[in-house]
Amino acid sequence: MSILYDDAQQAIGGEAVRILADRTRSETLKALLETTGRYDMRFWETCKEQGWTAVGIPEVFGGIGLGLVELGLIAEAIGQVAGGAPFLGTGHGVAQAILRYGSDALKERWLPTLASGETIGAVAFAEGADMLPSEPALRLTHGRLVGAKPAVCAGAVAQVALVLASGKQGPVLALVELAGDGVTRNMVHTFDNSRCTADLHFDGVEASVLTGEGALLAARAVLELQAVVTAHEQVGGAEAMLGKARDYAMDRRAFGQLIGGFQSVKHRIAEGYVLVELARANAIHAAASEGEADFGRHAAAARLSATEAYDSVSRDATQVHGGIGVTWEADLHLHQRRARTLAIENGPALFWEDALVDYLVEEAA
Amino acid sequence: MSIDLEIYRADAKAWLETKAMEFGHAARRGLSEEEDLTLGRRWQAEKFAAGYSAINWSKEHGGQGLGALEKLAFEQEEMKHSFPNDYFGVSLGMPVPIMLRYVKGDWARERATKALKGEEIWCQLFSEPAAGSDLAGLRTRADRDDAAGDWIINGQKLWTTWAQYADYGVIVARSDPTVAKHRGLTYFWVNMKSPGVTVRPVRLAEGRSEVNEVFFDDVRIADSQRLGSVGGGFGVAMETLMIERYQATDPAGFGPPIDLFVEEAKTIRIGGKSAIEDGRVRERIARTYAAQSALAAIHRRALLSLAAGMQPGPEGSVHKLVSVRTRQKLSEFAMDLKGVDGMRYDEDKTRKESWSKSWMTAPTGRIAGGADEMLLNTIAEKILGLPQDHRPDKGVAFNDFPR
Repeated sequence: MSILYDDAQQAIGGEAVRILADRTRSETLKALLETTGRYDMRFWETCKEQGWTAVGIPEVFGGIGLGLVELGLIAEAIGQVAGGAPFLGTGHGVAQAILRYGSDALKERWLPTLASGETIGAVAFAEGADMLPSEPALRLTHGRLVGAKPAVCAGAVAQVALVLASGKQGPVLALVELAGDGVTRNMVHTFDNSRCTADLHFDGVEASVLTGEGALLAARAVLELQAVVTAHEQVGGAEAMLGKARDYAMDRRAFGQLIGGFQSVKHRIAEGYVLVELARANAIHAAASEGEADFGRHAAAARLSATEAYDSVSRDATQVHGGIGVTWEADLHLHQRRARTLAIENGPALFWEDALVDYLVEEAA
Repeated sequence: MSIDLEIYRADAKAWLETKAMEFGHAARRGLSEEEDLTLGRRWQAEKFAAGYSAINWSKEHGGQGLGALEKLAFEQEEMKHSFPNDYFGVSLGMPVPIMLRYVKGDWARERATKALKGEEIWCQLFSEPAAGSDLAGLRTRADRDDAAGDWIINGQKLWTTWAQYADYGVIVARSDPTVAKHRGLTYFWVNMKSPGVTVRPVRLAEGRSEVNEVFFDDVRIADSQRLGSVGGGFGVAMETLMIERYQATDPAGFGPPIDLFVEEAKTIRIGGKSAIEDGRVRERIARTYAAQSALAAIHRRALLSLAAGMQPGPEGSVHKLVSVRTRQKLSEFAMDLKGVDGMRYDEDKTRKESWSKSWMTAPTGRIAGGADEMLLNTIAEKILGLPQDHRPDKGVAFNDFPR
């Protein structure tokens, strides 16, 4: 299936765009770049207050029971303003993992506060270049985690993390509270500090196992759900940069005419439009196919198109701006940074290319 | 998708399957073009009899009076069998419908019926050696014979698809060179068998000759063959081009499907390993798939919009641009992948089955029906509102502009 947004969905998206445009300041985002472990509190308050944190969580656990399509629309709006905290996507990953694989007790314990936004969740699967290590170095022995996870997005401030670790019988998916003894967080300075990235070290910390057998598949499923949220965020960012490039080309004159009249410039911008529309189509299609057999394939395609769109369009928008584009004041670097962060955070293109081909080969077999 | 439409599609699919043996790809293999055209005319007559040849035309003109969605559904199913319908695509797509808008009465109805049955073919005489993308730059003249009230046509058209088989054509010509180029054009229908019309097939790089150059030497036509006002030809030409807005599309750009590439990559070996394990191959597959799946999703949403009674958005304009470019690159890569075997060229295979044939014909696809550059201009100007290109001929009388 593919979808046309209905009126209610369009209202959700439109409202999110309006509110965020009103409440986000590029000065705040730039200030965050110069410290680690801090995020845009006002932005996160908005997410909580608007109930965005509750999307995707059933009503019985304090959520509002909507799905990826709605969350995608919100994420797209957040992408447009390079929203100052990553928790909506990671929170969705953690909540969905608990919903799908957790015990009733874990659901009761975590879902209501994830829905209200009180609890911030982080997802820690990757170890270096390996997004889904089949033999994670982080170990779970006798219910306790020992080892580390590098560069965990939201890891600096999250209260709970979903980790992929090595258990006795192979990989396990486990939930660990980050407030207790034995957890050390070392802030990682990245080019996009508001992501609150941290290296997490566990020294015998108690954790709850969500799945043993099939943990890798489960982790992949969580990653795919997050991927669709991320893809929407990337589409929003790409669209914002396309708009900035267009507006500048319609304003700036050189050699006696608007630079947007030069084919070298207008075709560059038109190519950007093409990339954004392809990415948007794949993102919507993926969101609409949640729960269907080919969801993984659509999620991977969405991530690939979205990454290409956001990287390319933000690169080209800077080029269209010329000298002013590379200054701190022009704000373009906010999207340039975010484009790369989002490209890597939820699995780089290499990972999704492999995932997609694996699906295609499997289906052809 | 509505249930009615799904039933319509299922019926069409079932009917098409019963015809595949007699008219489909296997039946066409090894035929000369003339033989294939003869088969095509029979196929067209079968479709007419079964009520599938003018699905979205009014009943008055021999159609079914259904919508664009039914037509698209049928075409999507028909496309799967490679039926010999290529010869009638232009004819029924634009020239005959525009003729029907302007010409009333028995003559027009008879032409429409014969065209629908494949008995007659129409061509569209727009492009010229000096006027391709810049249609209004055309130079073929239409001079009025004031005494007789007729028009005399002189000049040359180019890239006229299937003109060698055409019985009639629609033509735009310059009736007044003293005014700005868009204002001095007039639109007519013309009998292609008239004295003074010469058709010469143009052999394309890939070897086929479906396009022609057509010469007009003092071709006399009646004023009653005029469509629209004198000087209003550019508007009628634009109206013609707008008729076929919703066509069956192919995310693979009418080249081989990505599944074929995946299948081949599984059997080909590079450096002792299966090509499907090679990162470069995997990247290409994934990127191509992502682009094609996006085009398919855009198309599906356009159909949903149509079904809901809305107009699809402007994003549909990316289809031809992306699909053919992607096909060209993938075909190139597929040929590389086969190594020396990639050089084989099987005349009998279609461009949907053969990478080398797909590659040979892809450049045509990137130029015909709107070159990549024109599509990018359209996106930039019409969708994004960027300034038009510098046009020094704007507002200048055609005669006064240096050529």
